[in-house]
Amino acid sequence: MTSPIYFDNAATSWPKPPAVRSALDAYFGPAGGNPGRSGHRMSIAAARIVEDARDRLAELLNVSDPAQIALTKSATESLNLAIYGILKPGDHAVTTSIEHNSVMRPLRHLESTGVEVTVVACDRYGLLDAAEVRAALRPNTRLIITTHGSNVVGSVLPIAAVGAIARDAGVPYLVDAAQTAGAIPIDVEAQTLDMVAFTGHKGLMGLTGTGGLYARDSIAPSPLLRGGTGSRSDLDTQPDFTPDIYESGTLNVAGFAGLAAGVAHVLRIGPANVETHERALVARFLAGAEEIPDVTVHGPESLLDRCGVLSFNVNSLTPSEVGTLLDQQYDIMSRVGLHCAPGAHKTIGTFPVGSVRFGFSITNSEAEIDQALTAVAEIAQWAATRSDRA
Amino acid sequence: MAEELDGLITFFASHHAIRGEKVLGEIGLEVELVPGPKELSPNCGVALRIHFDERGTACARLDEKKVQVNEIIRYRPRTDDWRSPQSRRGWRHLFTRKSTP
Repeated sequence: MTSPIYFDNAATSWPKPPAVRSALDAYFGPAGGNPGRSGHRMSIAAARIVEDARDRLAELLNVSDPAQIALTKSATESLNLAIYGILKPGDHAVTTSIEHNSVMRPLRHLESTGVEVTVVACDRYGLLDAAEVRAALRPNTRLIITTHGSNVVGSVLPIAAVGAIARDAGVPYLVDAAQTAGAIPIDVEAQTLDMVAFTGHKGLMGLTGTGGLYARDSIAPSPLLRGGTGSRSDLDTQPDFTPDIYESGTLNVAGFAGLAAGVAHVLRIGPANVETHERALVARFLAGAEEIPDVTVHGPESLLDRCGVLSFNVNSLTPSEVGTLLDQQYDIMSRVGLHCAPGAHKTIGTFPVGSVRFGFSITNSEAEIDQALTAVAEIAQWAATRSDRA
Repeated sequence: MAEELDGLITFFASHHAIRGEKVLGEIGLEVELVPGPKELSPNCGVALRIHFDERGTACARLDEKKVQVNEIIRYRPRTDDWRSPQSRRGWRHLFTRKSTP
């Protein structure tokens, strides 16, 4: 396969740093034991890998105690852990209109059990006014959940402002950092974030099947799973200390070996530099797309309100058609449709057909953006020619 | 050739389409996975192009293998008509001005 132009990093990042692949050697070698279970050197070696991943994640998010980071299999599991672990019937939750289904589906299910949900509307650019979150709070609000960066339109939400509001109101605040961990600096102390859900296989450049939830010690969601933890095996009840309370069953050791290397890679580059790089790519595409007739790029006007994700449409073509041509004719990988976020598309006005999404990473280049502009221009020109003939 | 596949099977989820490709390919039907046309169904990331006149055989096989299907329709993507309007002078020379949004 000739190297494609991979613009689907919002779905999963590719290619991974070589160190992520070579980190798996330990799993197939001396660190192939089950971490935290046995006392032999192969189990201990596996445990060291897992704790190394945890330490690097703590450094990334400015978490003082790595035990506050529970390792999960995905951001979806992390969000479910936090949402189901906190909300009870009679509680009220506040979220936004551009959330991913990994937030909305748990909330809509909990609504059927007696939880009330307020969905604060973002504007048509996908931006949130934090003051509207404050206005939505009630005496029984038990959780605020917002995304950090929209997986559809790339808008960046004011998590520090919402964090301050949440802290002031004494309401736990959960941030969905699936699109931003590793790609935008996150500081749980400076931004007063109570919980951060993240995935390992996007901006953190790790493998699928990895993720985590940071939860401040004062926030103690009930665990989703209970079972063997390799600790307090004298008891047949779940341990009450972190992270064990949230880590029942064998961890994805191979995955976290890769994630440790991925996070180390991102830390060496620096999330702020990743942010600058991705934003420059977005700027280049926006500037070029502005010159292409019949192409609409959605999302905020200011680059400072954007992360490395963008959505666009070509008039008179469906997103599926654009995506097909990008893939088959130009070797450009994108994701088309609703991106598991129907609310986001309703918010920006692209529901029900959706959009074409590009998700950039540190591995993408300006040359690739220029090739994409050529592709989109030619597709738009072809579409216009077809429309003229219709 | 893919351009002669004039039928389309849509599914409720991509993994159904993937399984569909496998089980139909096993009995020698010509199929092609393509992005699911969102104007037809928001459900699936991918759909399966087939020869529309083979839909009976395809249906029976999918049913036998318990592959859930949304619908089977006659469909030919407009992208089959693609002709690259390449400009040797670069893409900006394809246009004279930007349309009013």
